[in-house]
Amino acid sequence: MKKRALRIAASPWLYLAPALTLLSVFLLYPVTNTIYLSFFDRSSTTFVGIDNYVYLASHPETIIVLRNNLMWLVLFTGTTVTLGLLLAVLTNQVRYEAAAKAIVFVPMAVSFTAAAVIWRFMYIYQPVEFAQTGVVNALLGLVGLDPVAWITNKSVNNLALIASGVWMWTGFALVVISAGLKGIPTEVIEAARVDGASETQIFWYVLLPMLRSVVLVVAVTLVINSLKVFDLVYVMTFGNYDTDVLANRMFKEMFTFGNFGRASAVAVVLLLAIVPLMLLNIRRFRREQ
Amino acid sequence: MASVLFDHVWKRFGDFAALKDFHLDIEDKEFLVLVGPSGCGKSTALRLLAGLESVTEGSIFIGEERINDTPPRDRDIAMVFQSYALYPHMTIKDNIGFGLRLRKVPRQEVERRVSDAAVILGVEGLLDRKPGQLSGGQRQRIAVARAIVREPRVFLLDEPLSNLDAKLRVNTRAEISKLHKRLGTTFIYVTHDQTEAMTMATRIAVMDAGIIQQVGTPQQLYDHPANTFVAGFIGSPAMNFFSALVTESEGHLELRGDTYSVRVPLDRAGEIRQFKDRELLFGIRPENIHDQEFVPRGVNAVPIEVVVDVTELMGNEVFLHLLAGENKLLARVDPRTGLRAGARTEVLMDLERLHVFDPATTAVLVSASDA
Amino acid sequence: MAVNEHADPARTHLETPAERIVRRLSRGPLHAVIIAVCLAWMTPTAGLFISSFRTKADIATTGWWTALVPPLQFTLDNYDHVLTARGMGRSFINSLLISVPATMLTILVAALAAYAFSWIEFRGREALFLLVVALLVVPIQLTLIPVLRMFANFGMTGSFPAIWLAHTAYGLPFAVFLLRNFFVALPKDLLESAFLEGASHFVAFTRIVMPLSVPAVAALGIFQFLWLWNDLLVALVYLGGFRDVAPMTVAISSLVSSFGSEWHLLTAAAFVSMVLPLVVFFALQKYFVEGILAGAVKG
Repeated sequence: MKKRALRIAASPWLYLAPALTLLSVFLLYPVTNTIYLSFFDRSSTTFVGIDNYVYLASHPETIIVLRNNLMWLVLFTGTTVTLGLLLAVLTNQVRYEAAAKAIVFVPMAVSFTAAAVIWRFMYIYQPVEFAQTGVVNALLGLVGLDPVAWITNKSVNNLALIASGVWMWTGFALVVISAGLKGIPTEVIEAARVDGASETQIFWYVLLPMLRSVVLVVAVTLVINSLKVFDLVYVMTFGNYDTDVLANRMFKEMFTFGNFGRASAVAVVLLLAIVPLMLLNIRRFRREQ
Repeated sequence: MASVLFDHVWKRFGDFAALKDFHLDIEDKEFLVLVGPSGCGKSTALRLLAGLESVTEGSIFIGEERINDTPPRDRDIAMVFQSYALYPHMTIKDNIGFGLRLRKVPRQEVERRVSDAAVILGVEGLLDRKPGQLSGGQRQRIAVARAIVREPRVFLLDEPLSNLDAKLRVNTRAEISKLHKRLGTTFIYVTHDQTEAMTMATRIAVMDAGIIQQVGTPQQLYDHPANTFVAGFIGSPAMNFFSALVTESEGHLELRGDTYSVRVPLDRAGEIRQFKDRELLFGIRPENIHDQEFVPRGVNAVPIEVVVDVTELMGNEVFLHLLAGENKLLARVDPRTGLRAGARTEVLMDLERLHVFDPATTAVLVSASDA
Repeated sequence: MAVNEHADPARTHLETPAERIVRRLSRGPLHAVIIAVCLAWMTPTAGLFISSFRTKADIATTGWWTALVPPLQFTLDNYDHVLTARGMGRSFINSLLISVPATMLTILVAALAAYAFSWIEFRGREALFLLVVALLVVPIQLTLIPVLRMFANFGMTGSFPAIWLAHTAYGLPFAVFLLRNFFVALPKDLLESAFLEGASHFVAFTRIVMPLSVPAVAALGIFQFLWLWNDLLVALVYLGGFRDVAPMTVAISSLVSSFGSEWHLLTAAAFVSMVLPLVVFFALQKYFVEGILAGAVKG
C-alpha cells in the first residue's frame, strides 16, 4: 500500500519531465540569457551597460522601426478587429455564411511567406506609360489614377504591408467573433427587439457589449502578432524603404550586422512590449479557473 | 382597447405547418393561457403576436389595428421569456429601464417607473446588481418587472415558470395572478403545464399539432372536454379511457369490454342507448372511481371487477393502479382504503361522470352530466 | 444588424413573387457587401494561381486577368522548372521532414504534461501552469541567439533533430494549454471510477484520456502541422545556411531575394507551398477552426 502511494506521488514529474526540460532549455534559459546579453557588446564579450538600448532609442533608423511597429499595432489591430466584427455580424444573416467565412479564413492556412509573394505580386508597379500587371495599380488605372510604387514609396509602403497582414488575419478575427456571436442567446436579442430596439440599437447596446470579452481576446492576439510581425516584412521588403520592424531588425542585427548585443536588446524591447499582455492573459486565466 | 384577434392564422416553416387555421379572439383584460404539449405551436402563436416571426397567412389584430407587418417595437407589447433573456452586461436597473430609454422617456421618469416596478415585484434591493449575481427566482422577477414597466397593451409570458423549482413555482403562480388583477391588462400565457393553466387562466386554449382543440374556462374544459385529447390533457392524474361495446340485455344497458362489463344506471341509459351495438371510447376521471367502503354520499356508482396492481400513498389520498382485464385504470380514493397490491376486488365507478367519445373522430358524444 | 429575423426559410412560403423581389432587393446591400469582400479576399490568391500557369513573357507584359479570355494559353513549365531546377521538390520533402516529426513530438510531450496538469495532484501545480500560460506569448526572438549558440556548440546547426526539438519546445506552451483545457473538462467520474478499479495513471492516460481526446489531439495536430509548415523564422535561423535542408518557406524567400521579378518562378513556387495547407484546410476545416478557437491567446 505504501509503495503504491509513493509511486503515485512521484509520478507527476515523470509526466512533466520532457516538457519542463524542453521549456527550460529552449525558452526559460535563453530568455534570461538574451536579457543578459543585451547589456554586452556585439560579440558578447564586453559589458556596455544600457548602450544598446540608448542606441535603439536614439538612432534615426531604429526610431523608424519603433514607429512602424506602433503603426502595425494600431492600424493592423484596429482594421482587422473592425473588419472581423463587421463581417461576423453580416455573414450571420445570410445562408451562405459558412462559405463566406471559409473564403475569408483561407489565408490563415497559408504561410506568411506565400502571402508576401502574393502581395508583392498584387502591388507590382510599372511606370505609368506601360500596362499595369499588378491588380492594385490596374484598379487605380480603371478609376483614372496614376500607378503607385506600393513597395518603395515611403509614404504608402507601410500601409501596403499592413494591408497584407489584414488580409491574412481578418479570417481569424471573423471566426472567433462569429463563434462568440453564436453564443449569444437568441432570446436576449428577441427581448431587445420586443423592448423596442432597432437593429442598429441592438448592435450597439446588446451585441457589442456582450461580445466585449471575445473582441478583447481577438485584439490581444492581434496586438501580440503586430509586435512580432516578421515574415511579411522580411519577404516583401527586408525592412528596406523605411518599413523595418523589431523582429526583422533583430534578424538583421544578428545576421547582417553580426551585432549580438543590439540584436538581444531589440528582442528585449519586444518582450517588454508584450509583458503587459502576458499579465492580462494570466489574469484572465486565473479568473476563468 | 387591447383585445387580440388571431384571424385564421397559418404559420409554415418550409413544409411544416406550425399553426393551422389558428383562430382565437381574446378579450381585453383576459388572462388567456395557451396550453399544449411541446411542439404544439403555442409558442409560435405567441411569437407571431410579438412580431418575432412573420405570419404566413391570415391576420393578427391588437385592438382594431392589423399588426402583421408592424415591427415588434411598435406593437406596444411586452414579453417574459422562458430563459428570462436578461441583458447580462447591464445592471438590473438598466435591464428594467432599457425599453423606456429606447423610447426616449425622460431620465427622471425612467427612474421613477423602474423603482415603481421594482417595488411591485419586491426587487428594490437588487437594482444595482447584474443578472449573473441573482438566483433563478430573482431573475424571473426582473424579467416580469422589465415587462410591466412599459405598461404595455398586451403582456406575453412564454413558460415563465418552467425554470423555477417546484415550490417557487406554486408561489409565483399566485403572484402572477395577483399581478394580472392589479394591472388590468390582457395577459397571454404559454405553458405546457395544465396545472398552471387551470390555476391562473380566465380562459384556456388547448392546442395540439398546430390546431386549437378547445377554448373555454378551466371548469368548462374539465367538465366538458371536447375530445379525447383535451380530456386526457386537462386534469391530473389524467382521465382513464376504456373501449367497450354498448349492449342491452333484459332491459339493462351494459358497457361490455373484453373481460369486464359495467351496467349503465337508468338515469344515463337514455343518453347512451342511441349508441347501442357500437364500440365506443369511454372516459372516467380517477376521482370518480371509489373504494366500495368509502363512497361519498349521494354517489350512485356501479361495480367493476379489478385487480389492484400498485398502490401509491399520497397522504391525503391514495392512487390505486387497477387492472380490469387488460385495461389499466387509475383510481384516486379515500386515504383510509384498505386495498393493497394483489387484492382482487370490486371498485365503484360513478357513471354520472362518464364521458363518451367517438373512437373514429375522438370527438365527445356525451359529456358528464352536470348534476 | 439582425441576427435571425431574416434567416427564416419559411418566409418564402406563400409569398407572392412581387413580395419576394422586394424582400430580396431590400437585402441587396448586405449581399453586395459580403460578396464584394469575398471577391476581394479571393483575388490575390486567384491571381497567383493563374499566373503560375503563364509564361514569363506574358506575366511581364499583361495582367493575369487578361489570360482569362480566349485564346487560353497556359503552361506547366513553371512548375516543372521550380520543382526540378530550383529544388522546390527537395524543399517540399524537407518541409514534411521538419513538420511531421516535430508535430508528433509536440503532441506526445504536451499530452504527458497536460495529463499531469489536469489529473495528478501535486504541489505547485497551479504556479507551474501559470508559467506555461505566461510562456504562450513569449516571442521566440528572445531565444534565438542563445539557442543558436547552443546548437553551434553541439554541432547541431542545420540538422533536422535540432529544429524538431526547437519547434517542439516553442509549440509546447500552446499545446499543453490546449490539451490541458480539454483534459480537465473530461468527466471526473470516469477517471475516478478507473482509479477505484485499480488503474494506474499510465493506464488512465493511455486507455481513457487519450482515446477520449481524439478531437482535441486532431485539432492540435492540424494546427501545429500548419504552423510548422508555414514557419519561416525558426527554419531561417537554425537551418538558414544549409540549402539541402531548407523547407519551402526558406527556399521561396531566397528566391524572392535573388529573383524578385521572376514571377513565373515565384508564383509557381508559392503555390506549391500552399497546396498542402489548402488541402488540409478544406478537408479538416472543422478541426483547424477548433484549434484556432481553443488557442485564441496564442501569439
